[in-house]
Amino acid sequence: MLFSRLLLKILLALQGVYSVFSDLSEIWRSYPFREIIERARKGVDAIYPEETLKPSIMLLKGANIYKQATRYATLDELLLLPPGFTPLRLKKMAELLREPIFSDVDLRHRVGGFNASMPVMVASMGSVQVANKISLDISRGAARVGVPLGVGENVATTWGYSRRIKSGQPCFKERVMTYLENLDGDVGGVTIQQSVEDAYNELWNKVYSDPDIEPYIQKGLVGFEIKVGQGSKPGLGGEVRLSRKEAERLRDKYHFSGDPAGSSVERHSAPGTYVPEILRGMVRLMRNNYPRCRVWVKLGPFRDLPQILEVLVSEGVDAVWIDGKEGGTGMSPLASMRHLGLPLVAAICSISEWLKSGDGSTSILVSGRLYDGGHLIKTLCLGLDGVALGRPVAVAGWVAGDRGVENYLRTVEVEAKMLVSALGKYSVQELSREDLCSLDRDIAERLGLRYIYS
Amino acid sequence: MLINETRHSYRHFMETEVSTELQRLSQLLQQSWKMVRTPRMKTVLKVQNVACDAMRDYLKSEDFIELLPPIIGPVTDPGIRGAKQVTFDYYGREYKVMSSAILYKQAAMSGLGKIFFMSPNIRLEPLDSTLTGRHLTEFVQLDLEIAEANYFDAMSVAEKLLCEAVNVVRDSCAKELEELGRRIPAISPPFKKLTYDEALEYLRRVGLKVRYGVEIPWYGEHLLSKLVGEPFFIIDYPRGARGFYDREDDNRPGILRDFDLIYPEGFGEAASGAEREFRYERVLARMRENGEDPRKYAWYLEMLREGIPPSAGFGIGVERLTRFLCGLDSVIEARLCPKVAGIHSP
Repeated sequence: MLFSRLLLKILLALQGVYSVFSDLSEIWRSYPFREIIERARKGVDAIYPEETLKPSIMLLKGANIYKQATRYATLDELLLLPPGFTPLRLKKMAELLREPIFSDVDLRHRVGGFNASMPVMVASMGSVQVANKISLDISRGAARVGVPLGVGENVATTWGYSRRIKSGQPCFKERVMTYLENLDGDVGGVTIQQSVEDAYNELWNKVYSDPDIEPYIQKGLVGFEIKVGQGSKPGLGGEVRLSRKEAERLRDKYHFSGDPAGSSVERHSAPGTYVPEILRGMVRLMRNNYPRCRVWVKLGPFRDLPQILEVLVSEGVDAVWIDGKEGGTGMSPLASMRHLGLPLVAAICSISEWLKSGDGSTSILVSGRLYDGGHLIKTLCLGLDGVALGRPVAVAGWVAGDRGVENYLRTVEVEAKMLVSALGKYSVQELSREDLCSLDRDIAERLGLRYIYS
Repeated sequence: MLINETRHSYRHFMETEVSTELQRLSQLLQQSWKMVRTPRMKTVLKVQNVACDAMRDYLKSEDFIELLPPIIGPVTDPGIRGAKQVTFDYYGREYKVMSSAILYKQAAMSGLGKIFFMSPNIRLEPLDSTLTGRHLTEFVQLDLEIAEANYFDAMSVAEKLLCEAVNVVRDSCAKELEELGRRIPAISPPFKKLTYDEALEYLRRVGLKVRYGVEIPWYGEHLLSKLVGEPFFIIDYPRGARGFYDREDDNRPGILRDFDLIYPEGFGEAASGAEREFRYERVLARMRENGEDPRKYAWYLEMLREGIPPSAGFGIGVERLTRFLCGLDSVIEARLCPKVAGIHSP
């Protein structure tokens, strides 16, 4: 009896403490005190997501943008709709002389002038340590699966073209050759980005006249990618944190934030200036100077996507890759992740007409918080040519090396095959908008999809 | 008949494996210093000498001043179709070996009016250039610039210059040409002018589709060069196909006031020239279009901002001219110890 009363008293006391704490925490959470305190303490350093010790943990940087996903619709707002009557399955059965199963789905697709085992590319990761460190695992894994691989900006300038500048960090050519040498069969292709700063060193020209890469250029397995923008920071250039010593070496080629006290500095890369003539001119220049290479263009989630697409498609680029707001969060300022750009689904809505009318000569890919076979199939149903996967591939690489990358990509492949077969279809070309419905009326109307409750 | 033949050679061109050709050339060039002892090469170099003298004499009679060419500088011509520049460390800064003297030509012209260089150029060409018979990584251009001139003036100089070289060589090297079994076709100015659009149409009719907006590919030039039957100009390239210094026509946006001179008989491009864009803001925008970092061109942009006269000019490759005059398969025969893309030779 005494014991129960004592317990009750303790509980009441705790409740009192808890409510005080909970009030305080309410106040604490109702206003970004922590962020403002960080800014006051650290100055400009605080505008980037918090620095953590282990590079593998840095992979998570910007991942918390996910918690804001409820602010806008994602591909999870769409559902795939299998039919009961499946005439295409009947056709497949006639072809196979047996009941088809999901492994009979053919996911092979032409992506930006390359043959791919499925409509997926490994997104171009640049020179940031966290991506570069595991880049050879990614190269091997992507090559074994037979999907195109992008090599991002500043790798050669920061880590060396054909010789390592730092022993633990693979150089540019290692990344490219490891991929190309591990390819098997007639699938795959590598695209190479060049920042304004890489252009200073003529990276593309160097690649184009490199005798080791030549046989692959001859086979049509090499592409160059113009990066006009990036998902989480459209309109801003690349940002990387470097040690003082490295910054000193690259002094002529980048802009640095001038903080003499710190042991590391941010390296700013220019975003590049574009008007229609400039973009058109760049594409022509690439066709002109590198006639045997594919031309890819990566766009951020800009408000004028249709106009940009018009220029690019009329110039016949091989692929346009649109990175939604959710993508490329690696080293983006917090303010840009919160406030800049169109979320992926909105970006797709804005080019809806293009997807309906496109003749398929230019592949259109998307990226941004995509990680499973469902995401892939939904984009294909909408008329896109595939997805670029970045963060999940990097995480897989950190967790289990090249096997991890391969395993992860295979799961996407198998999931995708299951979903396509559920739709009673057996190739990428057969997918269409009839296979999708939307939970949201506006999106349904805009993309020409069935509304879920109709 | 001719079309079938050119179709065949085009196919051959496309099918020749770059690696096979590299192997063949590599063997050929391992002792390249010995080539100069062969009677054939002696004859070729004699003709080259006569042609260079003829061009120099002609230009001097037209009041051009010959200058000694600068070989290195902080920047060089980027408009070199995918070739790579040679970069080296110059007292802690990156410097370039001239891929062409274009930037210095404009500087020289602003002081002296009509000038030319015999300018050595280095371009690390892509390996498929070995198939063309007209690409060396080290070569010499007669590179000239004329102040206050337009591209028609420049073309007029180019055609007279070529005719002069042909006439003098024909007159004074009859014996050498006979030894080489070469009969140079009779040529006289003015040369035919095809616009870029017409050239594309011409090629389309013989079954070769070229994407609008890029320079005509090597085999396309080769075809045209065989089909037209006399030297001719391709003029008015679209913007995007050339370097930032080719001037855009104010009245025809997107069209450049530039030209290529093409030899007959399949010998391909002889010279490349243009009226120059000298307006600072235009050059800045065009640099961006070409993916260039303007910071790199600081001295050149400063020169333009201060103002230079309008001008036009061109460069004519000496080894290619020799190849045409002597009827050689390849420019390799027109140079002492020739350097070819991807081949390590003396």
